Amino acid sequence: MYGGGYIYDPESKNQATIVEDPEMLAAFEAKIDRGEKIEPTDWMPYEYRRQLIRMIEQHAHSEIIGALPEGTWITRAPGFKRKMALIAKVQDEIGHGQLLYAAAETLGKSREQMLNDLMSGKSKYSNVFNYPAKTWADVTVIGFLIDAGAIINQLANSKGSYAPYCRALKRICAEESFHLKQGYEGFVYLATGTPTQRTMLQDAVNRWWPPIMHFFGPADKVSVHTEKLMRWQVKMDTNDNMRNEFLEQYVPKIWELGITIPDPKLRKNLETGRWEYTEPDWDEFFRVINGNGPCNKERLDVRRWVEESGRWVRQALYKPNEMYKMPLA
Amino acid sequence: MSSLDPRINRLDLVKTLEAEDIAQHQHWETYEVFVQAKRGGHHTHVGSLHAADHDMALIFAKEQFARRGQCHNLWVVKTSDVYALDTEDADMFADNNEKKYRNPGGFKVSDKITAYKKAQKQDKTETDD
Amino acid sequence: MNTDAIKELLYKMGDDAFILGHRNSEWTGIAPTLEEDISFSSVAQDQIGHALAVYTILHETLGEPTPDFIGFTRNESDFRCSHLVELPNGEYDFSLIRHFLFDHAEMLRYRALTQSTYTPLAQLAGKIIGELKYHILHANTWVRQLGNATEEAKARLQSSLNELMPYALGMFEPGPNEQALIEDGVFIGEEALKAQWLQSIEAVIRQTQLKLPDITTLTPVYGGRYGYHTEYLQPLLYEMTEVFRIDESAEW
Repeated sequence: MYGGGYIYDPESKNQATIVEDPEMLAAFEAKIDRGEKIEPTDWMPYEYRRQLIRMIEQHAHSEIIGALPEGTWITRAPGFKRKMALIAKVQDEIGHGQLLYAAAETLGKSREQMLNDLMSGKSKYSNVFNYPAKTWADVTVIGFLIDAGAIINQLANSKGSYAPYCRALKRICAEESFHLKQGYEGFVYLATGTPTQRTMLQDAVNRWWPPIMHFFGPADKVSVHTEKLMRWQVKMDTNDNMRNEFLEQYVPKIWELGITIPDPKLRKNLETGRWEYTEPDWDEFFRVINGNGPCNKERLDVRRWVEESGRWVRQALYKPNEMYKMPLA
Repeated sequence: MSSLDPRINRLDLVKTLEAEDIAQHQHWETYEVFVQAKRGGHHTHVGSLHAADHDMALIFAKEQFARRGQCHNLWVVKTSDVYALDTEDADMFADNNEKKYRNPGGFKVSDKITAYKKAQKQDKTETDD
Repeated sequence: MNTDAIKELLYKMGDDAFILGHRNSEWTGIAPTLEEDISFSSVAQDQIGHALAVYTILHETLGEPTPDFIGFTRNESDFRCSHLVELPNGEYDFSLIRHFLFDHAEMLRYRALTQSTYTPLAQLAGKIIGELKYHILHANTWVRQLGNATEEAKARLQSSLNELMPYALGMFEPGPNEQALIEDGVFIGEEALKAQWLQSIEAVIRQTQLKLPDITTLTPVYGGRYGYHTEYLQPLLYEMTEVFRIDESAEW
C-alpha cells in the first residue's frame, strides 16, 4: 500500500552539475524509447539511479510503516474473518516492503543503509501513515481508499523502465487487489450496517479525507527535472492526473452508499471531465513530512524498537566472513 | 506516550533511546529464490531474500514467495553463488537466429521433392507417349 | 459416543490455538526481520484458522453457537485453554520457545487424531498436518540456529525454556472426560501425547547447546482445562472483543 508521486528529495538542486557521457546517455534513452526495460547491471545515468533508489526506498518504507496504523486493530478485529484478513493484509504490507527493499538493493543501497535512513529521518515514507487509526472504521477506510489510491499509483509505476521495480510491482498489484476487495467489503458492511456502524464510518471518512487528498502529492512543478524523469519512465504520470483518476473511480462508490465527503466543492466538471475540489492544505502536508504530524514520532519509535529488540537475533547469526553481494534482480 | 495500538503500549519503547545504526550486513546475506509451480515444470526465479543460512532461507522463501498460489518445490541459492553474463553483452546472442543450420527451419526439402516429383511425372508422360 | 467428552476436547484444542494465534499475531509488523515477520505471521494465521475449523465442527455437528460467538462472546471461565498460551509475548526468544513447545504438541496431537473414531476431527487432522509440518520446520530451524549461536542467544533461549517448561506441561492436563475419549478411540489421551512430545522436543534440543529442564522436578501449571486462568486472559479477551462488543448482533 503506497501512493504518491511526491518523492522527498532535498538534494535534487545539487544534482544538476553531473555531466553524463553523451553517447552512453543517448543509447540508454534509445533503449527506453524502444520500450526496453533497464536491468541492474546496465549502464544508467547517475540521476536515474539516484532517483529510483529514493523512490523505491520511500515506497518500501511506506509499506513497513503503513503496517503500523493498520496493525493498530489486529488484536481487536471483530470476528474470525476480519481478524484473519487483517493479519494477512498487514503481512502482505511487510512482504511488499521486503520485495521493494530487494529491488532498491539491486541499485546498490543496502537494506541496512535504507533502514538507518528511515530511522534517522533522512528518508521519508508516505505522509498518510503519520495519521492515527482511531477506530475500527479507520482501518476499513485505509483498506479501501488508501489501497485504492495505492493501486492507481503502483499500476502506473509498474509500467516504468526499471525491471526489478516492475517485477516487484506486478506481484504487489496482484496482492493489492485482495486488499482493496477486503477493504471495500468492510466499508460496505459498515455503511449498510447499524446506525452506530454508519456513524463510525462517516467519522472515519471525515478524518481521512484530507490525508487522502494529500496522498498523491502536490501538483507537479513544470521543470526540466520532471520532464526528464517522465522521459526516463521513472515518473509515469502527474500527481494531479492520478488524483483525478482516484476521484473518478472511487467518489461515486462512496456517494452511492450515502456516505458524504467533507468537501463542499467536490464535483465532477462535466465540461472538462475532471474533478474539482478544495485545494488541499499543502502547508499541513509539508509540516507533517517534516516530522510534525500526529504520529511521526510513534512510527519511528516503533521502527527503532523493532531494530533494537531484534538486534540480538541478527547478531547471533551474523557471519562476518561471508561474501556479501547485492541481490541480483 | 500512549499509542492507540495496545500492542505498541506493551512494548518497552525505552529501548528506542538506545537505538544505534544497524551495521552493514547485520540483516545477513541474500539468497535467490526459485519456485517450481508444478511437478514437472522448471524452477523459476521469483526474487531474493535475506537469511542467515540456507535452512532459514528455505523457511522464509516458503512464506514470502509461496504463501498464495501454486508451489510444488523451492530452491534457494546464495546470491554470491550465482554467476551471470553481463547484460551489456546481450549482442552476443544477437545473430543466433540467423544461424539457420541450428534450427529446424534451416532444413527445407519440400521444394526439392516437389521438383523431383514433377520431373518424374514429366518423364513418365514422355515415356508413355 | 460421549458428546460431552468430544466437546471438551474440541474446546480445549480450539481455545489453545485461538489464544496463541492471537498472541503470535501481535508480532505481525514488528518482528526481528522482515522475512521472519512474514513467516511468523503465517503461523499465527494458521493457528487462528485451526481454531476456526475446530469451532466450526462444534457449531455444525454438535449444536454449539457460531464460531464468532464461541470466540468473541464467551466469558473467561468458559475458556479451556492452557496457561501456556495466555502468557504475554515477552521478547522474541520467549515467543519462539513457546511456538516450539506448542507446535510440537500440536503436530503430534493432530497426527494422533488422524486415527480418531470421531470422523470430523480425523478429517480435519488430515487437512492441517501439512501446515503443522511447516510450523515444526520453522520452530526447529530457529531453535537449532539460536541454540548454537552467541552466548546471549543461548542464555535467552535457555531462560525462556526454563520458564515455559512448567506451563508447557500444563498443556497435558487431563480433562474431566479424559478416560471416555480414550475408551471411545477419539483420542490417545494427554498422558500418551506428553510422552511422544517429550521425545520429539528432546530430539531437537539435543542438537543444540541448550538443556531440557528435568521434568521430574517441575510442577505442571494446571487449571486451564477446568476454566481457571492466569491474570492475563481476561484483559486479552476484553481487548480482543472491543469492537465486536459494540454490537454483537451487527455484521462487521
